[in-house]
Amino acid sequence: MKKIALLLLTLGMVFVAGVCFGQPKGDLVVCQAAEVNALDTAKHNSITDINYANEVFDMLYYRDGQGIPQPRLALSHKVIDDTTWEFKLRKGVKFHNGIVMTAKDVKFSIDRMTDPQTKAFFAPYYTTIKEVKVVDDSTIQIMTKGPDPLLLKRLSMNLYVFPSDLLKEKGAETFFQNPVGTGPFKFVSWTRNDRMILEANEGYWDGAPKVKRLIIRPVPEAATRLAELQTGNADIITNIPPFLVPQMKVSPNVTVQSIPSGRVMFLYINCLAEGPLKNKKIRQALNYAVDKKAIIDNILTGSGIPMAVNLTPYHFGYDPSLKPYPYDPGMAKKLLAEAGYAKGLKLVFNTPSGRYLLDKEVSQAIAGMYNAVGIETDMKAHEWGSYTQILTAKRLQDIGFIGWGNTLHDADGNFQPYFTPESVFSYYSTPPLADKINKARTTLDEKKRFELYKEIQKEVYEEAPLVFLYQQIDHYGVSKKISGFQVRGDEQFVLYKVSK
Amino acid sequence: MGAYIVRRLLQSIIVIFGVIIITFVISRVLGDPVTLLLPPEATPEQRAYLTRDLGLDRPLYIQLVVYVGKVLKGDFGQSFRHQEPAMKLLLDRVPASLYLSLIATLISVCIALPLGIISAIKRGTIFDQVGMTLALLGQSIPAFWAGIMLILLFAVQLGWFPPSGYGGLKHVILPALTLALFFSAATARLTRSSILDVLDMDYVRYARLKGVPEFVVIMRHVLRNTFITILNIVALQLGLLLGGAVITEFIFSWPGIGRLSLDAIYNRDYPVIQATVVVAASFFVVINLLVDIIYSATDPRVSRK
Repeated sequence: MKKIALLLLTLGMVFVAGVCFGQPKGDLVVCQAAEVNALDTAKHNSITDINYANEVFDMLYYRDGQGIPQPRLALSHKVIDDTTWEFKLRKGVKFHNGIVMTAKDVKFSIDRMTDPQTKAFFAPYYTTIKEVKVVDDSTIQIMTKGPDPLLLKRLSMNLYVFPSDLLKEKGAETFFQNPVGTGPFKFVSWTRNDRMILEANEGYWDGAPKVKRLIIRPVPEAATRLAELQTGNADIITNIPPFLVPQMKVSPNVTVQSIPSGRVMFLYINCLAEGPLKNKKIRQALNYAVDKKAIIDNILTGSGIPMAVNLTPYHFGYDPSLKPYPYDPGMAKKLLAEAGYAKGLKLVFNTPSGRYLLDKEVSQAIAGMYNAVGIETDMKAHEWGSYTQILTAKRLQDIGFIGWGNTLHDADGNFQPYFTPESVFSYYSTPPLADKINKARTTLDEKKRFELYKEIQKEVYEEAPLVFLYQQIDHYGVSKKISGFQVRGDEQFVLYKVSK
Repeated sequence: MGAYIVRRLLQSIIVIFGVIIITFVISRVLGDPVTLLLPPEATPEQRAYLTRDLGLDRPLYIQLVVYVGKVLKGDFGQSFRHQEPAMKLLLDRVPASLYLSLIATLISVCIALPLGIISAIKRGTIFDQVGMTLALLGQSIPAFWAGIMLILLFAVQLGWFPPSGYGGLKHVILPALTLALFFSAATARLTRSSILDVLDMDYVRYARLKGVPEFVVIMRHVLRNTFITILNIVALQLGLLLGGAVITEFIFSWPGIGRLSLDAIYNRDYPVIQATVVVAASFFVVINLLVDIIYSATDPRVSRK
């Protein structure tokens, strides 16, 4: 009798274990607004590309939701000297074809990124890397050209590890028709503009995915994405415009997950050309005259957070003690008068049309606010392609609306492009400010770096070389049938822990 | 008739050649793709390298000569954005576009012909008024609204069809219906007016006087003589659809030529823009040519002109 009871108990436990820790099951369907550009990561240039690669490949490090690099294929690192970093690699990780990943594969993958022949879109982020050395099967060293405090962030951006022998043998073109990585999902098929199908890698080193198949579909129209979610055909939908959020909140079986985005929105001010914008007081007036809260509440239906400078809490170096310029039209008028423009001022106001969420509408609202303090604006709407061309050629007149998503989540990525003279995006710089920015980008000591950015931020805030606006809030629609989905501020997703 | 066909063929070739040159010129004035193809952090050297690599640093006329020579071989170059041959990207989309276009045309004809015929025969009655009001509605409702309404009704509320995606008959019905709503309106109105023209003809009256049953009069004497007009408009619509139904493909996430060309325009992907425009124009010209040939076969007066 006891034996039978024991047997039953064991059987019961096996059954329960089977249910709880069982095989991956079900299809997880994700609908995104845009399509993957290419399977070859060297041709990648957008977040949809990165999201496919994140499922099929692994990197040495991967940023967590706060933007801090966490070890993945690397276990630990050691800074040997200012320009030499040593990395211990995770042992026994297998590619989808069963081959074990070693230091040789890591070196090959980094070299592929930095090799000009590869023509990788993201290569400009890796120009600081000088050389990669294999120490032994599970140790590599990376030599940088100068001290590079951003190395870990670079490694966690899109430096995926490939099986070197297979890639070399097949050539990139053939290899990426059927890509093989160490990631949580194996590649099955891709029909461009229709769907990509991935399958659970049950031997994944960080635990098998909870779902059997992952299907990623591009559905450009937001209302259609919502319909896919409401009908149960999709489990996760991305890029939901704020005006669809109320509709989602009343849909049964659907939840809305929202998170502040790492993208910052602001106005350019051309401080290079001679004229009133060279005067700090005018630039401050431009900041005081904007009612950020009204824009967020009325145009973005609440989907925004006012900013003090062009940084968010995701960025290393962010100083929370700075408070956004308050809305103070009286102050704006006073500053204009002090600068000698009591009778008003006329500016060209440029805006892209359709590139950012409600870009033209926001620009028009700001133009109205400027009008109220005596700044007359001449609104010019541009198509995105020609807008960037005018911007980078430094031919932008007066002021213009723009957004900036910094892929490294570091103050350097937001300050260096805007406030150092060598950057094509910069319309403002002073030699001491540029010096500080360049010093911060080569300082390895995090505390010293942070202090430098604090100083830089104060100066940027005071000098007001931009009109600081807001940080967007991203919305996702998630089916109640799934659990374990975590939204991120960088628009990336990791899906092997999601179950259905 | 042979001479007529040869003449039309030559004209068609000239038109396509003109399109090739115009696409080249227009896409070069649109803007610089290099700024879009590189991340913001790219150095001037990287920009210069890419400009050279894409051949954008050479004089325009050399770019044109190289371009025309390659296009004649079906080579539009590598897509800047996808790094794949533009022609291959386009050809991959043709089946989806063809499928959607044919089904949409079929539905459109099925709606338009009965509507047009009934309105004409019952001219001035309530049938005519309702029919023509429907046609007017169909033509004035924009595709983006009609498409989303169809999704809300048939996919979300009733659950009969999937909201979007590429697949079998279930998937194609809603986008095809969206397109058909618009196109059937024009076809119905044209069918109605051309039937009205014929109804007054002596041979129709004569047939009726002979005592031929009304149904046979309509089918044999009236419809046959309005066939050319209807064929013409349906063919033109098919030609337009094959060039890509941009909005409908966008709403229903249909992987056709329209979405490809839209993406290409956003990204300044010259090779893809050029390939889609040239191929869409060729579709149009070829269909027109075929219609003209059918014309001249059914109505000898056409080729004698």
